[in-house]
Amino acid sequence: MNPMPQPPRPTPPLLAERLLAWCCAPELLEEVQGDLHERFHRRVALFGERSARRQYVWEVLGFITKPFAIKRQPNPYPTPTNMDMLRNYLKIAYRNLTKHKASTLINLSGLTLGVTACLVIYVITSFELGFDTFHPDGERIYRMVGTFTNPTTGEKSPMGFVPNAVPKAVREEISGFETVAAFHNIESEVLIPNGREKPKQFDQRKHGVDNAEIIIVEPQYFDIFKYQWLAGNPQTALREPFKMVLSEKKARTYFGDLPPDQVLGKEVIYWDSIRVSVAGVVKDWDQSTDLTFTDFISFPTIRASAQMKRSINLDEWNDIWSASQAFVKLPEGATTAQFAPAFRQFAQRHFPKNFNFELDLQPLSDLHFNADYGDNYARKAHLPTLYGLMGVAVFILLIAAINFINLSTAQSVERAKEVGIRKVLGSSRRSLIGQFMSETFILTALAVVTSLLLVKPILTSFQSFIPAGVDINPTAPRVLVFLGALTILTMIMAGLYPSLALSSYRPVITLKGQNALLGNQKGRLRQGLIVFQFTVSLVFIIGTIIVGRQLNFMRNKDLGFRSDAVLVLSPPKGAGNKLSVLYDKVRQLSGVQKATLQVLEPMGISYGLDKVTYKGKTVQTLEAAYKMGDENYIPFYEMKLLAGRTLVKSDSSRELVVNESFVKALGFKQPAEALNKSLQWRDKLYPIVGVVADFHQQSMHEKIAPTFITTVPYARDLAVKLSHVQGEQFYMTLGEIRQLWQEVYPDTKFEYSFMDDTLAQFYEKEQKTARLVNTATAIAILISCLGLFGLATFTAQQRTKEIGVRKVLGASVSSIIALLSADFIRLVFIAILIASPVAWWATDKWLQDFAYKADITWWVFVLAGLLAMGIALLTVSFQSVKAALMDPAKSLRTE
Amino acid sequence: MKRSYLGEFEEIVLLTVAVLGSGAYGVAITDELEQQTGRSVSISAVHAALHRLEEKGMLSSRMGDATAERGGRRKRLFTVTVLGSRALHDIRAVREQLWNSILPNTLPAISI
Repeated sequence: MNPMPQPPRPTPPLLAERLLAWCCAPELLEEVQGDLHERFHRRVALFGERSARRQYVWEVLGFITKPFAIKRQPNPYPTPTNMDMLRNYLKIAYRNLTKHKASTLINLSGLTLGVTACLVIYVITSFELGFDTFHPDGERIYRMVGTFTNPTTGEKSPMGFVPNAVPKAVREEISGFETVAAFHNIESEVLIPNGREKPKQFDQRKHGVDNAEIIIVEPQYFDIFKYQWLAGNPQTALREPFKMVLSEKKARTYFGDLPPDQVLGKEVIYWDSIRVSVAGVVKDWDQSTDLTFTDFISFPTIRASAQMKRSINLDEWNDIWSASQAFVKLPEGATTAQFAPAFRQFAQRHFPKNFNFELDLQPLSDLHFNADYGDNYARKAHLPTLYGLMGVAVFILLIAAINFINLSTAQSVERAKEVGIRKVLGSSRRSLIGQFMSETFILTALAVVTSLLLVKPILTSFQSFIPAGVDINPTAPRVLVFLGALTILTMIMAGLYPSLALSSYRPVITLKGQNALLGNQKGRLRQGLIVFQFTVSLVFIIGTIIVGRQLNFMRNKDLGFRSDAVLVLSPPKGAGNKLSVLYDKVRQLSGVQKATLQVLEPMGISYGLDKVTYKGKTVQTLEAAYKMGDENYIPFYEMKLLAGRTLVKSDSSRELVVNESFVKALGFKQPAEALNKSLQWRDKLYPIVGVVADFHQQSMHEKIAPTFITTVPYARDLAVKLSHVQGEQFYMTLGEIRQLWQEVYPDTKFEYSFMDDTLAQFYEKEQKTARLVNTATAIAILISCLGLFGLATFTAQQRTKEIGVRKVLGASVSSIIALLSADFIRLVFIAILIASPVAWWATDKWLQDFAYKADITWWVFVLAGLLAMGIALLTVSFQSVKAALMDPAKSLRTE
Repeated sequence: MKRSYLGEFEEIVLLTVAVLGSGAYGVAITDELEQQTGRSVSISAVHAALHRLEEKGMLSSRMGDATAERGGRRKRLFTVTVLGSRALHDIRAVREQLWNSILPNTLPAISI
């Protein structure tokens, strides 16, 4: 710098100076800068500072746009940059991974398993949690629900629906709601008139299979839930009776590829004769929703159509139907609590005395998860199951990470020298950690990519178990963020400890060929991890056994009646009187053992409850289940008669047969005591003529209720017991029944169901749980074994010399195998001790849902323990046998 | 031997280096060029030409003295190499041969 102090020398513009220094090749910089400065100072003297500065900038620009000035000459001694170091890390990582192929494979498969499980579970949970989250102002949308209190028992039951008359009255009488909209789900076959030809026909929705699509809806519905209108006027479309709005996709289903405008005015027929014309078309929502409706019929249609008026009574205050739904939108800032007093007054004003119904509001976000508030359309997801799944995902990932930790620290003996050399050559601890982390990163990234490829096939192969519509879109920002987070989290969980441990080695010790630091306290940690892994695996194993036992128990428990080979035929409603004709004909068939007419089968999804009064010493009123059939009902299902006789043929209800629970509920000790007592049912007295052994009416979750059986003049279904359920004879009999059916009901499709299949549906949820637990068990065991294998490898290496010395001194191969295995058996034993109470607690909680259950017995734990021991021994034996067979001459020679 | 091509600007720069003798560096060459030819020359163009000529082996360079007004930075001083000298001579020979071959009064007369 120039030492002259006064006046401050003018300087070239700093920015241009920096730009030049940054762009210009370093070997040219000095002369170029020198020349530019020289010219600058001369110009300052000649033209003044401003002009000189401007010219300077121009000249700099002149240089940095010339290729010769920018192009750098290769430096023979480059200073290494971060990129170079990173490249080196990656190279070494690659070499290490390919050198230890076995452990790389173990690590990779472990991590991939863990990450895949995580990913699949993420996809499922985010799908379920994403239901109906897209509505604008969704947090202000609520459904009107209520709690019904049984006047006799005082039992409260939540209802996802309200009496038909409520929504309109609420709108008129309770202020403070922004919008109130009611709708009714209906089920119907749909006919599309097709000129002179036969109308196009669409079958009625199958419950539990198809989405609910037809609703009769107030126009306000479209104020609460926003749709994009493709045709028609949102203001007027649903004002008039016999009008409707269709969704775009549904319109295409009904009318083919017509543009929305041309769909307007077309006719659709519901319930055989209600003709409705299309007044609007809306775009379907493309996000997941429980409000799957596509046919919106105008509300005034109810009162205008005699047929609909009969089935939906809009002035009904004293009964509730699951089809009767109402949604409200609260104004901003309003809370549900502020409506409680108004609801109370409203209930007092309108509901009759014996109809105790409290109104309440259920948030839209609760709709998908709260199974208490039932309805006809929303598929309920079980929130605890989702949380359980997330827990499983975390555990599996944790186990996989532990595995990785185990295997990489096991390898550390070999890496210790490398660490020593690197440290001697000036590597800092930080950069060593960076190196090991980048190795972990490669593996994690590989695992994530592999699992991304695996997710789709897994989703397809587990279709029955995963709700429909679950899919993964790897380019969606949310998924990308999750993948990134998962990668980083896994990398840190798996890689942090090994890299900290490895980088802490002191070069002096490691280069001398000792591995003193790998001693006891580090081994403890690894052992702890193995114990943890096996604890998790054992909990899963015990869970598998207990869930399996309960499923078996439910399948094989004596139900109190026989359901095998029973075929149930349900004729169309209203045509029941022809059923006896079919009945008489079917009974003649050679492939049919016996048959009975019935209203309710002994056990099924639907059941009836009614009040029965017994006037003995005291007056007792019971809620009893009823079953109705003809005189063959009890022998048909082979129920065991404990006292009295079965029902005799009758055209009306004249006598009752009750079950054992009924007898007990009445306070009798012996079944015979109940005979000939009179019960009052629906204002009439009936004698008890027989007592049957208890039989199940519902799933094993429910207790057997007091039940009576009686004859009725009408019947709903026909149950047929076949001689064969397979093979040629079965199909022959089925064909004969079909033929008879078509003679009696020429217009209706022949449909039948096996009672055993219907009963199996009771346990669908449990089957799913079983599959979940089985899968989790398999994954947990697999990963744990991988970890154990790694640890066994490690110990075998560590103790090579010890084994050599022992062998020289005369130890047998088997004693050395025992020595090596004993350590692991001890770990597994500790795991059993920890896992047993945890598993007992968890399974006991699960079993509490069942009224009838297979109890948890001690041998389950012993079995699980033995299983785990066996698996552990098998895994360890690979290494221990190898180590034991090693020639001591070789193992002792290496120093 | 294939003669390397010399552009017009390169030729002038090379000649200027020869004119300046031992004091040929970026700023001096630019000034001399402007004075001799009367046209305005950008310093970066001169540097580019010098760089190219050095690559072609017609110039050699060494680092010279530093001055205060250069902020203590050294000059790069250029001298013409044998190859550069031969190139200049070749060009000159071709030109003179051509001039000599022009018959008198062939070129239209110009007033100076």
